[in-house]
Amino acid sequence: MTVLILTSEEDVTADMVVVRLHEAGVPVLRFDPADLTHGVALSGEYVHGVSRGHLSVAGRLVSMSGLRSVWVRRPGVPAARAADPSAWLSEESSQALYGMLRSTDARWMNHPDAATRARHKPWQLRLAQRSGLAVPATLITTFPQAARDFAERFPDLVVKPVSGAHPQEPPRAVPTSRVAPDADFAAVAYGPTLLQRRIAKRADIRLTVVGDRLHGARKAVAADADPDVVDVRFAESTEPWRPVEVPPRVGAAVRTYLHEAELAYGAFDFAEDADGIWWFLECNQSGQFGFIEMDTGQPIARSIAEWLAGEPRPAHAHANGTARTTS
Amino acid sequence: MQPFALNYARPAAQLEVTVPYVYDSGLQLNVLPDGRLAATDFAVMRALGTTTSTAGSKTHFDD
Repeated sequence: MTVLILTSEEDVTADMVVVRLHEAGVPVLRFDPADLTHGVALSGEYVHGVSRGHLSVAGRLVSMSGLRSVWVRRPGVPAARAADPSAWLSEESSQALYGMLRSTDARWMNHPDAATRARHKPWQLRLAQRSGLAVPATLITTFPQAARDFAERFPDLVVKPVSGAHPQEPPRAVPTSRVAPDADFAAVAYGPTLLQRRIAKRADIRLTVVGDRLHGARKAVAADADPDVVDVRFAESTEPWRPVEVPPRVGAAVRTYLHEAELAYGAFDFAEDADGIWWFLECNQSGQFGFIEMDTGQPIARSIAEWLAGEPRPAHAHANGTARTTS
Repeated sequence: MQPFALNYARPAAQLEVTVPYVYDSGLQLNVLPDGRLAATDFAVMRALGTTTSTAGSKTHFDD
């Protein structure tokens, strides 16, 4: 049976997993949905109570019933590179492709419904609380007065985008940034604003979870680091990521989180404070892992490959392969 | 009126890098000019930053 990987051609991080699957002799079909109708073809029929379908890519023909798993990595917008692209054609192509794939017994990393829900940061924060993770005091508001009151209660704050997305036109980045004590919060009225108590961190933690496997990595904050630079993605640092043991309570909590979120994969970001507490910042349901594997040597790509190579999900299981909870 | 969070925005780094590998549809992998697999050359991948947590932020929410 075949592992289906939906991602762009230039995604070399996905290559790390494809290499592992090749080594294990597991059949792979990889394509970018953006290439639908222009190098990628599909067909499905529903006749006499039976459904069957096929995908064709670069001379490979795979039956929908022969898919053991689907890895949604970095797929493009369906049919975006068609000869005559349009929003209508993309929607038609999305419905056809993902509708057929949803009809299979394949396991998903991650299922599109779970992935869409998991991207919502307010939902992440609440699930993290319910899962037993430490969550910094956070406010998301369009009320300037609520922001002022919050800043009085928690004078040392950071601001970050609610969605995690960066604005375009012109392209800009919005790193997690420290808020000055005398900040004017009037502009909070013009867009939902996420304010969070700043954690005085001694390290950043990246915990990549694949199925039940935990890969913890830690990047220490340099002693001479600028305390105003909060966002590790935008900080200059020569300190490498190093493997770190995951505290048992945190391990149990992130497993609960992923089970409740119906995710098979999650890359958690934490800030470690002076007491060693890991404060939950976010869970990226399709977060990058190559930079961690290259620094730490942790076999994350192998873990993903082995999860994808597992058997299709049993009847009544979640799309991420875990058993449904009965009550 | 500009939302509060955009007070902290900065111009996005324009990474106009030319990747030294090409996609091989037969292998379903990216290959370097000398025939080696790009995914096995960590030096190249580090130099391009293609696996880092800001890669793909323009089109994907997940870092």
